[in-house]
Amino acid sequence: MELSYEVKDSYAEIRAAGRLNMVSAPKLREFVADVVASGSSRIVVNLEDTAFMDSSGLGALIGCLKAARQAGGDLRIAAVQPQVKMVLELTSMDRVLTSYASAAEAFEND
Amino acid sequence: MTDALARRSFRDRATPEAIESVHNQLDALWEDASFVPDMDRMTFTTAVIEAAANVVQHAVPESAAPVELGVDISIRQSSLEARVSAFGAARPEGGGMEPRMPGNDAESGRGLALIRALVTTVTFTRQDGTNVWILSRDSTPA
Repeated sequence: MELSYEVKDSYAEIRAAGRLNMVSAPKLREFVADVVASGSSRIVVNLEDTAFMDSSGLGALIGCLKAARQAGGDLRIAAVQPQVKMVLELTSMDRVLTSYASAAEAFEND
Repeated sequence: MTDALARRSFRDRATPEAIESVHNQLDALWEDASFVPDMDRMTFTTAVIEAAANVVQHAVPESAAPVELGVDISIRQSSLEARVSAFGAARPEGGGMEPRMPGNDAESGRGLALIRALVTTVTFTRQDGTNVWILSRDSTPA
């Protein structure tokens, strides 16, 4: 999985390309922790190029959400693809991890 | 039982990297079995990866030898089947099945419940010191 980030006006966008599984989940946790530590606690994880996510990857997103909230911010996800959407719905975590059509829309109204 | 139309087998040390290899094999398998609908590929792939990851994360060696992960996949006319084995692993607590979803803020523990939601049947057996999960999903060619 390739991870990259870009600080925008009111949030930091993290792009995660590839498979979000038990190999990459710890890397995502570490990556988001570093972004939060650098001062950005409003995070959008852009999942446009995340073709696959398993329960380890989902666990990492939940851990990252907690880390962002503890720092006074929030974590939102964007551009979710069909397999990731399926995993979110089957675990009912679509109610916890708010999904937006694009990264730009995630923090548009607050 | 009808003959398999496509098959893949994998066996190696149960490490996180093995999960990537199993996933690559599944992707290659769908190229050989293009008649399997996208929805069935997506759900079955997710279930197999969850089951394999469960072995890597939770299997406890029964002796000094490390646990090996085995994944055997058979595509038949109307079903997809995977045997996910933990060779050299001790018998798992609770018979290897914990199907309940944990609370909303839990960061783990959803794998087996997810598998149950994705396939038609899941069975667990222990044969000759090997833990075996058999996942089966009904599938009708598009």
